[in-house]
Formats: sequence, C-alpha cells, structure tokens
Amino acid sequence: MSLLDQLKSEYRTLSIVGMAKNSGKTTTLNYLLEEAFDEGLVLGVTSTGRDGESTDLVTGTDKPKVYLFTDTIVSVPDKLYALAETGLEILKRTEYRTAMGNVLICRVAESGYVQIAGPGSIREHKRLCEEMLAFGVDMILIDGAIDRKSIAAPETSDAIILATGAVISRSLKVVVEETVHIVFLYQTEQLTDARALSLLQDPEEENFCVAVIDDEYDMNVLSVRTGLGAGPLLNDAIGEHTKYVYISGAFTESIIAGIDPKKFSGFTVILPDPTRIFIGAIKWQQLRKKGFRIQVLRNIDVAAVTVNPFAPSGYAFDRRELRKNIADALPGIPVYDVRMGGFDTDE
Amino acid sequence: MSHPNTTAMSKVDITKVKPYGDTLNDGMIQMSFTLPVPDGEEAKEAARILAKKMGLDEPAVVYHKDLGIGYTYFIVYGKCQHTVDYSSIKVTKVEVDVMDRLECEKYIEDNIKRPVVMIGASTGSDAHTVGIDAIMNMKGFHGHFGLERYHGIEAINMGSQVPNEELIAKAIEMHADAILVSQTVTQKDVHIANLTNMVELCEAEGIRDKVLLLCGGPRISHELAQELGYDAGFGAETHAEDVASFVLTELVARKRI
Repeated sequence: MSLLDQLKSEYRTLSIVGMAKNSGKTTTLNYLLEEAFDEGLVLGVTSTGRDGESTDLVTGTDKPKVYLFTDTIVSVPDKLYALAETGLEILKRTEYRTAMGNVLICRVAESGYVQIAGPGSIREHKRLCEEMLAFGVDMILIDGAIDRKSIAAPETSDAIILATGAVISRSLKVVVEETVHIVFLYQTEQLTDARALSLLQDPEEENFCVAVIDDEYDMNVLSVRTGLGAGPLLNDAIGEHTKYVYISGAFTESIIAGIDPKKFSGFTVILPDPTRIFIGAIKWQQLRKKGFRIQVLRNIDVAAVTVNPFAPSGYAFDRRELRKNIADALPGIPVYDVRMGGFDTDE
Repeated sequence: MSHPNTTAMSKVDITKVKPYGDTLNDGMIQMSFTLPVPDGEEAKEAARILAKKMGLDEPAVVYHKDLGIGYTYFIVYGKCQHTVDYSSIKVTKVEVDVMDRLECEKYIEDNIKRPVVMIGASTGSDAHTVGIDAIMNMKGFHGHFGLERYHGIEAINMGSQVPNEELIAKAIEMHADAILVSQTVTQKDVHIANLTNMVELCEAEGIRDKVLLLCGGPRISHELAQELGYDAGFGAETHAEDVASFVLTELVARKRI
C-alpha cells in the first residue's frame, strides 16, 4: 500500500511542514502528487508561501517545480495565474488577499507546471481548505513555506508530514536531535483533566490570554492582552497551590525566563497546541531537567517524516544512515527518503 | 511604441539586452573589489584572472591601490558576453495607486473615519534605523514626509534591535492596524529566519488575520514577502506614501474599517 493510500483513509487535510528551508517540502509534495495520480485520487493543493517557481528567492539555487495532473484543484493568486504553464479553469474567485493578488480556486484542465500560493494567515487557510473540499477532492495537501511551522496547527490540518534534511546542520547528530525535538514537541501530552478542560473551554471565557488555575480549580485570569512580556506578572500569580498555567498565545523563552525555576515542579503549563512553543531544543532539555511540565489541548499527529540527505550548499549525508538514525529515534513514525529511493522503507 | 525613435532604444533588440559603454552592445562593465593579497603585479594578474573567470572578455585592471595590511583594491573593466531577454521579465510589485500625503489623509477621513495605527521597528539583531526612520519619522526622507506627519495615522516607531515579541506585544496593546518590519543590514540570511519568526509569533498570538504585516529593506521584494507570509514587501526607494497608500487601501478592501 502506498503512503498516500494509507494516509487517505485517516486524514482529509495534510500539511507538509519543513524543519528549514530546502528540507525537501516540494520534493515531498511532488512525490505525493505522483502517487495520487497513480492511485486515481483527486487532490487539492495549496501553499502557505509560494511553490513552483524555478529559482529560490533567497539562495538563488534551483527549486523543483510543481507538476499538477488534470483535475487537481489548486489555489493560485491572480498574479501567478498568468505564469501557469498549463490551462487552469477558474472555479471561484475568493476574498483572500495575498501579496500576489486575490486567491483563485482553479481546476487543472491539462497536466502541467503551476505556481501555487495561498492566503497568508492560517485561519484563512482553514476556510480555503473547506471551500476546496466542497469541490469534491479526496484529500488536501498544504505545502508549508520556509521554516514556518504554524501551518502544523491541529485546527488547520488533520496531520502533518515533517520534512527534514541535511540543510539543518553539517552534523548528522544535530539534524537528528533537532528533528526529534520537533516531533516530540508535536506529540506533547494532551490535557485530560476534565475539570481543567471545562474551565478552559468555557465559551463565555473565550477571550482571556493568560490564566492560573489552583488545586481547587479556581481560575485566576490575568488582565493582560498577551502573554508576551507577562513573565514577571505570571511569576507573581504562581503560588504554591497553582496547578496549571494556561497561555493562549506564544510561549517563548522570555516568558519562561520571568518565572522562578524553583516553582517549575509545582505546576503544568497548558497551551492550545504545540505550535505555540517557541523554545529551542537545548533550552527545552534544560527546562525539562528542572522539572518543567507542559500539556496541550490538542497535539499534532505526525503522519510521516521525510528526509532529504542533500543540502543546497553542497554537502550531503549517507542517505541510509540519515534515514536509519531518524527512524531509530522515532519509533512508530514512518520515515522516508524523498530524494533517492522514493518512499521505500525496506532497505 | 509610444516613444519617438530618438533614443538608443530604437536600435536595441530588447530580447538581447547587454551593458552599454561607449557604443550599443559593447557589453562594457566596470566593477570594483578587494582581494586579500598585497599590491603588485601578481595582485593585478589575480584580479584580471578573476574577472576572466566571471566571464568578462578583455578584462583590464584600470586602477589598483594598496589598502595596507596586505589588501588591494581594484577597479576592472571588461566586456560582458551575456544578454538578458528584457521582454520576458515579469516582476510582481506592490500594485496600488499611490496617493500623496494629503490624498491619504482625505482617504482616511472619507473611508476609514478613525485613526489608523501603524507600528514599526527594525527587528532582531538589526541596529539600522535608516529604513524605518525614512518611512515613519516626521521629517521623512528626500522630501517625502514620514508617517508621523500624516493626520489620521498614529505612527509608532520603536527603533532598532527590537525583539519580535516586544513589537507584537506593542501591536496588541495599541490595536495596531499594520506592523512594519524593517531589515536593513543582515548577514547569512538571518533576516529570513527573523521575518518568519515574526509571522509565526503573530499566528501563535492569534493576530495574524487582524493586522497587515509589511516588511521592508534593500533585500526585500514583494515576491519574497509572499513566500515569507507577509502582506507586502517594499524594497529600496520606498517612501511613506507608498506604505500608507497600501495599508489604507488594504484596510478598506479587507473591510477592517
């Protein structure tokens, strides 16, 4: 059974998230497109950035173009519509504005190369996906941009494919560590405490940003509009009876720096989902060692990891070694090499 | 063509454009660079070989000067052999009817009817305020007044080396309509990581679809902005009215009035 066939039975919307630029997102997308064609699936394709241009805007290196088969549904902004190298039938003009013009939902009339782009914000992407599903696609693939990971948010897609590769570091060990860190973050334990859940999901309390819940389940909502810069305030609010600290937005190193590490063992931080975590791998390990705990309302399903053993700056790893190292570190998650042997896992 | 045939354009094949020196299509180029070698005949030859390797025909070192501590500065002439098909070039630019300051002010009065809040900063490690100052500061740049001068626009310039988090916290506090991120001088593409981090933080904070996110700087293009997840990107030679016109018309188009 092909990867896509496996995924199709479980997911409707799949995001391809890159660990970095040039980690192989587009190659992964092209592979899945080809597989979908073989399987006779109709895909919807969109991108959080821009896809299918032949030269990288930052590094100037060649990029893989995106070849779409007939009947694929695709999001193309006004200004890229004219650049498509094949016929596109416009199904709908949307209201989503991008730097490249308003987004059009198109059907590919004849197989060929198309430049894809979608709306900038994740919320608009979610709505766009719903509109595309209404045109009768079997599955939607969202291609991420650069190293932007917010598209991994569970409210947008059912699962993600994480693209990683040699571009992250010249050290294989670092590539593996960074990748494993992200997968572990995405698999952060979900909050199961029903009483805390009911407090946090109370529809009437929708607009709070930072709250502290004590062991009697009394919730103290801090009067701030963002958690950013609220570290010291939060530190004052955390007492010996504090059980949970909820932050609705970004959870950054500067927030955690404001909190006395001695208090870490007493409470659990709760975030809406793992995309709110902005803390590097090393700092994260240090926090965990100090007893820091975290849970999320919804975690992220990592459906597969793809590895690209080549870096655009010219070095490469042994493809078997890279794939094996990552696969060994991530039991239960299929790991594929997109550049060389395609998606064969048995070597 | 609408232009009379009085310029060089009349003889130019725009599908094969080449540098112009003394005569059309002679391909003449002047360039300057420094090599980490002491001045001398060997250094001159090194500069000439380098120019040859760059694909320049008949390279000539017309000037060389010892910069001290074993470095030499060169000016080299040569003939470029490459051509560019000008007719096939497509550049995506910010397409907006640029209004001058007074027109912008009237546009706000007529269409938005409330103050428009724009917050700008040079973010991350970038210590250069020249870009954001040219756009925002009262006196502006080159005869173009900055956003602070505009009635109806509340412009807040946070200066340089502002962490993304602080810029976002301020934007949330002020209910900003637009965030202007300036990246003037950066190394090793650190501005890319810094700009995407900004977008990601905005998403995490849930404000990405409430603000217009703009970036600007000499290495920024509108195309790059799309890839990074920004609403617009402004390169060099941008003035306050370009930014203001874009923000105001987008606010109306997106019904955020």
